[in-house]
Amino acid sequence: MRPQQNGNQKHSTLQSLTRRGLFHRVSGGIYGAASAQLMGGDYALNSRSAEARSPDSQSSGKVWTDLRQRAPHFEPKAKAVIHLFMTGGPSQMDLFDPKPMLDLHHGESYFDRIAGEVENPQSAGALMRSPFRFAQHGQCGMWVSDALPHIAGQVDDIALIRSMHTTNLTHEPAVYLIQSGKMGPGRPTVGAWVVYGLGSESQNLPAYVVLDDPNGLPVNGVENWEAGFLPPIFQGTRFRATGSPVLNLQPDVERPDDLIAEERALLSRLDQIHRRRHPGQAVLDARIASYELAGQMQLSASDALDIASETQDTQEMYGIGTEPTNSYGRRCLIARRLVERGVRFIQLYVNGNSWDHHTGLFADLKGCCDRTDKPIAGLLKDLKQRGLLDSTLIVWGGEFGRLPIAQLPPDKDERKAGRDHNKNAFCTWMAGAGIKAGTTYGATDEIGLHSVEDRVSIQDWHATILHLLGLSHEQLFVMDNGLKEKLTGVLEASIVQGILA
Amino acid sequence: MPQLRFWIFLILMPQACPGGSIIVADDVRDVGELKPPVTFEKDIAPIFRTRCLSCHEGESRKADLELASQQRVLAGGESGAVIVPGRPDESLLYQRIKSGEMPPEGKDLLGEVEQELIYRWIAEIGNVPADATIDPLLNPSQHDVVPIMLRHCTPCHGRHRQEAGLDLRNRAAMLKGGRSGPAVVPGDTDASLILQKIHAGQMPPLERLVEASVKPVDPAETAILVKWIKLGAQEIVIEPDVATSTPDPLVSDHDREFWAFRAPIKATVPVVQNADRVRNPIDAFVLEKLEQQPLSLAPEADRRTLIRRASFDLTGLPPDPLEIEAFLSDADPDAYEKLIDRLLDSPGYGERWGRYWLDLAGYSDSEGKREQDLPRPHAWRYRDYVIRSFNTDKPYSRFLLEQIAGDELADYDHAAEVTTHMSDNLVATGFLRMVPDPTWANITGYIPDRIDVIADELDVFGSGVLGLTLKCARCHSHKFDPIPQRDYYRIVDVFKGAYDEYNWLRPEIHPGIGPVSQDVAGGRILTAVSTAERKTWEENNARIAREVTAAQQTPEPEAQIKALEAQRQPEPQIQALWDRGDPSLTYIYRRGDPMSPGRLVGPGVPSVLTDGKTPFHVEPPWPGAASTGRRLALARWLTQPDHPLTSRVAVNRIWKHHFGRGIVQTLGNFGKAGIPPTHPELLDWLAVEFVEHGWSFKSMHRLMMTSATYRQSSALTPEQESADPENVLISRMPFVRLDAESLYDSLLLVAGRLDPTRFGPGDQVIARPDGLVTPQGTALGWRRMIYVQQQRKRIPTHLESFDYPQMNPNCIERRHSVVSPQALYLMNNGMIFELAESFAARIRKEVGSDPEMQIRRISLNAFGRLPDDEEQNIAREALTQLEAKWTLHPTSTGSADPEVARQKALTAYCHAIMNSAEFLYID
Repeated sequence: MRPQQNGNQKHSTLQSLTRRGLFHRVSGGIYGAASAQLMGGDYALNSRSAEARSPDSQSSGKVWTDLRQRAPHFEPKAKAVIHLFMTGGPSQMDLFDPKPMLDLHHGESYFDRIAGEVENPQSAGALMRSPFRFAQHGQCGMWVSDALPHIAGQVDDIALIRSMHTTNLTHEPAVYLIQSGKMGPGRPTVGAWVVYGLGSESQNLPAYVVLDDPNGLPVNGVENWEAGFLPPIFQGTRFRATGSPVLNLQPDVERPDDLIAEERALLSRLDQIHRRRHPGQAVLDARIASYELAGQMQLSASDALDIASETQDTQEMYGIGTEPTNSYGRRCLIARRLVERGVRFIQLYVNGNSWDHHTGLFADLKGCCDRTDKPIAGLLKDLKQRGLLDSTLIVWGGEFGRLPIAQLPPDKDERKAGRDHNKNAFCTWMAGAGIKAGTTYGATDEIGLHSVEDRVSIQDWHATILHLLGLSHEQLFVMDNGLKEKLTGVLEASIVQGILA
Repeated sequence: MPQLRFWIFLILMPQACPGGSIIVADDVRDVGELKPPVTFEKDIAPIFRTRCLSCHEGESRKADLELASQQRVLAGGESGAVIVPGRPDESLLYQRIKSGEMPPEGKDLLGEVEQELIYRWIAEIGNVPADATIDPLLNPSQHDVVPIMLRHCTPCHGRHRQEAGLDLRNRAAMLKGGRSGPAVVPGDTDASLILQKIHAGQMPPLERLVEASVKPVDPAETAILVKWIKLGAQEIVIEPDVATSTPDPLVSDHDREFWAFRAPIKATVPVVQNADRVRNPIDAFVLEKLEQQPLSLAPEADRRTLIRRASFDLTGLPPDPLEIEAFLSDADPDAYEKLIDRLLDSPGYGERWGRYWLDLAGYSDSEGKREQDLPRPHAWRYRDYVIRSFNTDKPYSRFLLEQIAGDELADYDHAAEVTTHMSDNLVATGFLRMVPDPTWANITGYIPDRIDVIADELDVFGSGVLGLTLKCARCHSHKFDPIPQRDYYRIVDVFKGAYDEYNWLRPEIHPGIGPVSQDVAGGRILTAVSTAERKTWEENNARIAREVTAAQQTPEPEAQIKALEAQRQPEPQIQALWDRGDPSLTYIYRRGDPMSPGRLVGPGVPSVLTDGKTPFHVEPPWPGAASTGRRLALARWLTQPDHPLTSRVAVNRIWKHHFGRGIVQTLGNFGKAGIPPTHPELLDWLAVEFVEHGWSFKSMHRLMMTSATYRQSSALTPEQESADPENVLISRMPFVRLDAESLYDSLLLVAGRLDPTRFGPGDQVIARPDGLVTPQGTALGWRRMIYVQQQRKRIPTHLESFDYPQMNPNCIERRHSVVSPQALYLMNNGMIFELAESFAARIRKEVGSDPEMQIRRISLNAFGRLPDDEEQNIAREALTQLEAKWTLHPTSTGSADPEVARQKALTAYCHAIMNSAEFLYID
């Protein structure tokens, strides 16, 4: 792997060490608070991944255990990512992929030909046209349905991929896959890999921040931002959009500030004595630093979340203060503020399986769009006007798509029809840094069942995100018992060149 | 196609294209028809003969791939087909050669001319009529057809249900057919009902695919079935591939020479210079390496340090001040040895060491992988079994025997009385039911999902017990260790009687979660708890029934009846694994893909761990048993005294938990990609010693902890730092952080809030909307963390903050991170603050209001020592300041009473102590 950058070492005992010596110290547990002003004060010792997984520690597989900045593999386009994860499986043929053939064959039976791909065969109906109307938008003429009027106004910033496909049609495994490259828990997610590869720009905020929905966690819960076999400092940190942003950030039991300060001072003195009596145990410096950082986080996190300081116009652009956009709008705006503060990877979630419209497609899909459409368009506009879109990658999408046939409710009322899961075709889009804006890439068959042209696998999609950040999916790995563990696993992946600027 | 590309080439020609030369090269291939055709015999065989056949021919062929004839090449190997006729670029064989992966390192690569010939040969095979040369299923047998039935048909036409009277598990049953007539008529495809039904799209019924967790029949599968029937539905006898008395062609004696694959032998204890430091042979082995540096053992730690270290090591709890006092004043020269014995006898020992084993097993109280995170309401019995086994010092050999084959140790089904012993054996098999498992739901209960569960269990077995990365051989032969893919599937076959993807027991579905499945072979629950326990339960029910009847006679019975009903206990049940006999056959899955079955294999163990010429002996566990006895045979093989890995892996793990790192640092990998032992002779000496002492854990603890090596100080000197920076040589004891459970339990203990109640169902947790998860308390406080429910999606925040692992599927070694969320949690969490209040209240009660006394007692409780003058001064000053400040905040305290402010100050002081580094670290 690439040599580790040797910056930010303040601690005198480390000055004389060779680089290799430093590696050994990091792994062996003697590591000064070299980066006390960084999240690098956080520290992992004896991690399963770090040492035990790396038989060849001299040459290649040493695992980073800190968040100091690292050089990318090549010149990056994006410095930060905002991932708008739409759990549940947004319907491609109702949002971004118009299928006139469905209008033509509406009501014709098709189930027999796809029975093996239907999660709920008992409720399968006939081919179903979209209840939404499509039109071309922008200079580029991208097709978008009238469910997303605001995003339709920003298509000239977007590259749409219509030819995504995945390998499982059940939410949990499909979400694991698109988050971590494998259909099960226990693997580092994209965000964890990115932060592992690049480290943090921010000195007092986590590098990987999750803005989950106050209405509830997405499918797979906290496993969506886990570090897997990477050290835990690379996992996502949840920020709540209201109240105390981080778990335990504010005391559960209120006490006057001066008393808290007095207690902290006492703790600090006790720890300094203990430290003095344990020369060479530099893990104690790291621990003291972690307490200092915790204090800094209280201030910085609160500041990042303070959207009241934004102008009324800005807030309005995100749909803040009005329903149904308020909640998602707040999080979009916070995402921008986090990008400004050097946070590397930000994920916005919707609760549960929000986009899982087995029934009630028209009303419920529209509801999801109404909650997120304006805030997302606002985010794109705002980033652009502040010059941040050039260095920020926006990624939109869910874990799979939906079928061209109807799924009927138990009473078989067609007006309440929805669509079942489809692993063979779905849409995602990217915007911002390094993206060829206004592109429509790939295609599905005439009814939107299979992606057929310029197909993009989950691995390709992962490799492309890493690529935009200056990371090679082949070179970003840790060794595990002789196996290179990568985001893309053992599968082939190619960069989706067609959407790159 | 070649013509088309040729025309494209012509069109492109006039353009000046930097890639022009490549196009020309392409063109040479495309217009290659002008050249004489490439034939295998003339052009390819000579290349393969000189360059490939030394590894890819005959019995000992690597990756199960033979390159001696075109037919063999086309048959493929472990990775499935290596040739895609007509498409060289997609052919694995060409890819491997082109990328330089083959021939392997150390051998010369193929030249351009040779590569070009192979390319053309593959490109031209496509021109030969397909089934004349390439179809390996020219003449299929029942071995090609039965797997198709298993994949698509037997859930409804098999062992557990025979819809329409039809069973499709073997040829005879297919010929016999069901109520509509024979399913298969040899030689007559038209008359074979099975084909009619498949062709008509009626079978498997589309609308029932999901409830049976099956997929529609693939056209390629139908083609095999058609051919089989057309050619007379032949049945051939193939003997499964098992170890025989002739030497194994795939694993050589040279492979067996690697240190970890040979039985450990006790080396002579070395003679060292500092012989006066040697308390037992461990010290001699350690000193021998240290003296080469030159270093020696660090000085012995003082008694306060030793008792704190030993208490945490064996019980996960700090010593009581009275215990410390007794130890310090014990003049007996064996005082330390007595201390170790006392700690080993403490019930806390099993709670501490059982937890390590639960990590290894991947213990969880829920199934995971699905949003619902289905609970495992009976898993706690396995947790209790583990704790009790450690406390009674059950021999490790017996412990393994019970967990791997407990169901095959006694005929519990026909026993007149189920003894506690029998019942425990069944509970022990819960070891093999711990991995994440979504197969209770139809949509995540397909064959591949089930195989993932089996693979995870084998991973637990491989990494935890065997110390090998067995899982690597699931899709292909192991890249580093001599474990052919065949050996993986032999072990799969060992487990087949209980873990059969075609005869699957689903996790217990609770009312309201998921539809009932068509594929129900039953649940995983046995009711064979001990007769005594069952009787107690029944008597309780009978008593309640009697009292309810009596209550009904009273004027207002409702409240009474309700109270009585609340006393009912759930039926005692065991989550177990058991052999149900008559397992389906095991074929190697090429690339791990159940759609690509390869060779038929029988039960066996990794050949490299045997002499390679001894059959794996399996017999029914008792006369007339339905059980195959395969896991019993595995367990007996595993626990032979001279097994090369079992004892080494176990003592290495014990060593790790005492000394901070394993002698083999990769606890779960003793293979070639693992890290070699730092003290190989010591490891082997301990391994043999372990077996000689009856596989006793406690005797190993005694041995290790009474060594001078263990009694060393952890203080770091500059000499050690330069000569042994990573403490590989154990020149000192490690300075360690408490793990999540020890920290939690210790906080409860010093606060006086530890509920000592042991065993039984896990305590519930409370999940706050913001994600904070806290164990629910009991009337007495809180129980030790091991007795709190460990649901995958509701892990207590305390555990998550302090590196409790995700069990995916298990944890071989925990991390010890230092991250700021830990600081935030300890500083701000409400439960920690409540414990600080309890600590302060307890101190006030025990020593009164004198701050000097309070400070001394707090230090003794929390750190096991008295404060020195400096600390005493700081503490006194802090208490004064805190009290003064609280007095200024009467509204915050809600009282102007100085006593309230004083107690608030004491609480703040206790809170700081609980946050302090000294509380968290052990010297």
